Amino acid sequence: MPPDAWRHFRGVRAASALGRGSAKSLAVTYLSLLVLIPLAALVTNAFNKGLGSFWHAVTQQESLDALRLTLLCSFIASAVNAVAGLATAWVLVRDRFPGQAILNAIIDLPFALPTVVAGVIFYTLYGPLSPFHVNITGTWIGVTVAIMFVTLPFTVRSVQPVLESFTFSAESAAATLGASPARVFRTITLPALMPAILTGTGLAFARAIGEYGSVVFISNNLPYRSEVASSYIYSLAVSDQTNSAASVAVALLIIALALLIFFNVTAQRLARHRA
Amino acid sequence: MHLRSSKWKQLAAVCAAAALPLTSLALEPAQAATTKVNVVGYSVVGPAYKVLETDFQATPAGAGVTFTNSFGASDTETNNVVAGQPADIVNLSYEPNLQTLVTAGRVAPSWASQELTLGGVNASLRLTKAQTTYRTPGIVTDSVVAFAVRPGNPLGIKNWGSLTKSGVQVVTPNPVTSGSARWNLLAGYAAQIAIGRSPKQGQNYLKALIANTVAQPTSGSAALAAFIAGTGNVLIDYEDDIDAAIAAGDQLQIVTPPQTLLIENPIALTYTGVTNPSAVAFYQYLFSAAGQTALASLGYRSVLKSVWASTESKFASFKKSTDLITVESLGGWPAVNPEFFSPTVVFPANSTTYPNSGIVTYLEKFAGSTA
Repeated sequence: MPPDAWRHFRGVRAASALGRGSAKSLAVTYLSLLVLIPLAALVTNAFNKGLGSFWHAVTQQESLDALRLTLLCSFIASAVNAVAGLATAWVLVRDRFPGQAILNAIIDLPFALPTVVAGVIFYTLYGPLSPFHVNITGTWIGVTVAIMFVTLPFTVRSVQPVLESFTFSAESAAATLGASPARVFRTITLPALMPAILTGTGLAFARAIGEYGSVVFISNNLPYRSEVASSYIYSLAVSDQTNSAASVAVALLIIALALLIFFNVTAQRLARHRA
Repeated sequence: MHLRSSKWKQLAAVCAAAALPLTSLALEPAQAATTKVNVVGYSVVGPAYKVLETDFQATPAGAGVTFTNSFGASDTETNNVVAGQPADIVNLSYEPNLQTLVTAGRVAPSWASQELTLGGVNASLRLTKAQTTYRTPGIVTDSVVAFAVRPGNPLGIKNWGSLTKSGVQVVTPNPVTSGSARWNLLAGYAAQIAIGRSPKQGQNYLKALIANTVAQPTSGSAALAAFIAGTGNVLIDYEDDIDAAIAAGDQLQIVTPPQTLLIENPIALTYTGVTNPSAVAFYQYLFSAAGQTALASLGYRSVLKSVWASTESKFASFKKSTDLITVESLGGWPAVNPEFFSPTVVFPANSTTYPNSGIVTYLEKFAGSTA
């Protein structure tokens, strides 16, 4: 019997059609309420005084400075996490050592910890009174480190399942044929992991550019100098400049969307190419 | 997309089920309105309310009353209330926030006289201009803008002039989000005027002050946290906030400059608060001798004559009455707020360096371009 023979039973078919139908309506309603309607409101707010007003808000010097800082730090943080996350996932899957299960559980903690708390902890550990005599507050490095902490789980958790379901046959064959471990990694393992790495990095980047809690404190929040985009948007929103706030937010979203699409398309192309 | 009507019915049923808890939630405050009070305030005053509410609950009027508190950067809290956050009592950093709430229809335009109509304050018990502090209706606490420095005051900070010397690193919150920051910057400017400088020299002073600023956290509380965490060597802050931090054991020292600005924090009952007897009772408590004494012990300058007379010695005094400057003497908030903090910078016809609107906005940008 073919694997999907169960679909031919009438009852199952009807139930599955009903399930699909209500799942679809639930998904549409849910997505509309949570994502589409708020997004539409945001875009409306950004453009309801015209394209010129949108452009004016986005190209204000304070906006450009904040966007530049945020994009630079997010880019570096997600690039570092792509490498560090891959290494972490590798250790978690391919290695066996005491405390591994605990380490595995700890990886997700940056998601659970309120980001404001993370910001304060980093300020204490790597600030003016640092026990390690390292002060990264008020600099782009501080912002980048905070973002790295917040986005670490993305790459680890995208790569890990792929690495777990990985069969060793191709790697073993290459090794048997005399390929060095580095070459096996470069030509066999890495290409197979690339789609997952790209997906994780894309998510990390998207999350990074919107980050507020952990970075607003560590940046010292100096306008034009160390203010991140989310903080600038916040200050616009609370000072009766809703349209400008929405405009800068939309600019940030457009950049995030473009990058997510690029990462996803590349990941899919790589996956298809290998299949 | 094709959706059959039965699916819409299912959906309607799901939505109705989801809405049920909402309706019961909406009914709850109506039942509990007599004993629950929603307090919204600026970040720095938050800890004081813990004490005040406990004290109030120990009085006959406060027995059984519960509180829901929301404290944060003054402008943020104001916007949340405009957006519909429940609020019976609003104690904000500065008057323009109350004006915003009046415009939004959450607070009566006559809020400042509530202390007389609802607060049980006898006007003759209030401090008047002849005294050290000034009487402005609707103000529940006074304070002054002061400096916190590191123990022993290693840089010898003594007045506003000390803050613009090279090597001094100033922490003050961001004036766009924080009411506290606006008091601070205005104080620096006002002190220049008080010692006989011109408005242009006052603007030059602010330029130098902002150039020496190393952190502008989002609220007064966040600025104190950054300073305690080691950033900068002078924090500009409310006198009461510095006193509270010292009382809490933080290693700071207070320096009150010889000329500075009088801070007046407004309070009001919202339209819902006026109809909530518990909120009115708490409001009365805050203006009573007991409430004002509690506030004085928390570092606030009392607005009641009797309480001020008995607590005055705790606070730094000023040589001349003109050394303690009021916003009123600078033109009042309706004029001062756009002049200094308007997001749009406007220059007079004869100048490109001394704006007459958005002074601080311009100076922040200037500091950014020269950093």
